[in-house]
Amino acid sequence: MNGNNPAPKTPPLIVTTPGSSGDAVSGIRELRVSEFSLADNVWLDYHNTTGDPKTDRIFAAFSSGVIVSLARCRRHRDGLEVDGVFTPENFRKKGYSRRVMDALVEACHNDDLYMYAVRHLTGFYGQFGFKPIPESALPPDIRERYTWATGNLEGADVQPMCRKAGL
Amino acid sequence: MPLPNPLVLQHPVQRNRILLLVGLTAVTLAVNLFGILFGLTAVLSHLLYFPVILASYWYPRRGLIFSVGIAVLYGITVFMITPQDIMIGIATIARGAIIVLVGSVVALLSWNLAESEQQLHDIIEFLPDATFAIDREGRIIAWNRAVETMTGMSKTVMLNRGNYEYALAFYGERRPMLAGLIINNEQQIEEKYPQVRKEAGKLVSEVFLPHFHGDRSMHIRFSATALVDAEGNITGAIESVRDITDQVMIESALEKTSNRLNTLAGILRYDMSRKLAVLYGQLRFGVMKFRDPEIISFIADLKESANGITRQIDISREFRDIGATPPTWIPVQDAIMTAAGRLEFGRVVFHAWTERLEIFSDPHLPTVFYHLLHNSLKEATGATKIVITYQIRENGCAIIIEDDGVGIPDHDKNSLFVQQEDRYGRGLFLAYEIVSLTGMTLRETGVYRESARFELVVPSEGYRVEGMEQ
Repeated sequence: MNGNNPAPKTPPLIVTTPGSSGDAVSGIRELRVSEFSLADNVWLDYHNTTGDPKTDRIFAAFSSGVIVSLARCRRHRDGLEVDGVFTPENFRKKGYSRRVMDALVEACHNDDLYMYAVRHLTGFYGQFGFKPIPESALPPDIRERYTWATGNLEGADVQPMCRKAGL
Repeated sequence: MPLPNPLVLQHPVQRNRILLLVGLTAVTLAVNLFGILFGLTAVLSHLLYFPVILASYWYPRRGLIFSVGIAVLYGITVFMITPQDIMIGIATIARGAIIVLVGSVVALLSWNLAESEQQLHDIIEFLPDATFAIDREGRIIAWNRAVETMTGMSKTVMLNRGNYEYALAFYGERRPMLAGLIINNEQQIEEKYPQVRKEAGKLVSEVFLPHFHGDRSMHIRFSATALVDAEGNITGAIESVRDITDQVMIESALEKTSNRLNTLAGILRYDMSRKLAVLYGQLRFGVMKFRDPEIISFIADLKESANGITRQIDISREFRDIGATPPTWIPVQDAIMTAAGRLEFGRVVFHAWTERLEIFSDPHLPTVFYHLLHNSLKEATGATKIVITYQIRENGCAIIIEDDGVGIPDHDKNSLFVQQEDRYGRGLFLAYEIVSLTGMTLRETGVYRESARFELVVPSEGYRVEGMEQ
């Protein structure tokens, strides 16, 4: 991956959402492999998260050519996990995360989506159709990520959630 | 032990083997006799394994009898020469048993090996395609029944012959065929021989032989691959030959018919386009000449009908071209964008989420999306949003085009992609024809009165996602 890679040769198709012209978002789209390093740079402030083209689809909101919000959908052997939803501090309170989540959910809606939501954001993800589920309902590969919490997810301040497939 | 067939002795390899066995047996027995005379009954008996192993390996059916014979001869020698002793007797019987055991095991293994070799030989022998194989030196090592029938050259004549003898049977001259190119380790074969191409590790070539059987001409497809040893070294090559004359003649006839139909369709399209141009001119003139709203509305309806005919002409032209160029890997997002660029979305929201996805398709893939989107955009559907996504499944990848319109009635779903004069036109039929060229399927899975949902299912070998594991 190369951070200096040029923009993709084929821009994504217009994403027109009625009533969304109030902010300065110039586009929301899925990143190509050559752009993963741009996401990695943004995620430096988010637990050093990095994207892996082998398993991940990354969705980004751009403003004036700069990534202002990100979300990741990772393919595990037994399910899809949503994480990496992150907006840098100086771009917050503008609805970018909501737009990126809208995009991710729409793009990946054909499968059930799972996530570990930080507890104070369960309401936010609930607006996209995510519902709280017991940890045991998570696919094993996804559950494995939080094995260190050994059943005490409340202590880890996260809540497993699931969104059933469908638009 | 039965005596070898006298005819076998005429074969130099067999003769040498038998002479070697006789000599080795005589020498090892003589050495043992000499040793026994000097009180050595243990060590020298191991020498007897050499003739036993060789005889059992070369002649597995006689290996047991041979080893029993050797063991008996050894036993008689010991019992006749050494003093009667119970321990020597037991040891001699034990040695004899081991000799028989070694001979039996080697014979069994050699027998199994010979059987599997025979099976391999039979597979080549009874292959429906004419097949021959050559070794590293270019000598013919296999010449099956089908190639005997095709060339009229018998196996007994051809086997072990080198110097491109096999080419004489096809070309009437000595020259390297595909198998020869392989064992000669020719580089840049495709540059030197434009008619030769590589297909999945094989060399393939189609040629026309004008005088293959006297005056009879033949179209032949040659394909050859290397025979390699465990280390990957080329030890020979195998080449199969197929008569494709009927296939070529049918293709030629179909091509001529297709050209004729295309010419006729081209003439019709040209004439209709000219007439349509005149009609559009008259309609424009009518709009300028009349002010009566009823007449203007009537003219608008006429223009809409003329647009429909123009579209049918376009479909006809696209239909002529599908399959004309080989399929290739196509970025799906590009194809969708090309299709969307030809359509007017108005207030309909359109999202496409197929970045990084590529599918192996006829180059007319944008036409597929054009007709699917065109179908969703029809006013009658009432759709306000169209979304294209993809889903990776066990059997491949589904590209899903869905809208929030009224959908397709259940009784229409089965006939959607069939050529017919109904309200869906021929666009979906054309889309279906294009995707089916590369093994894809297209079906409608939406719920009537809720949504329309077209699923384009790509087989697992026909899709890839940039950088993603599959």
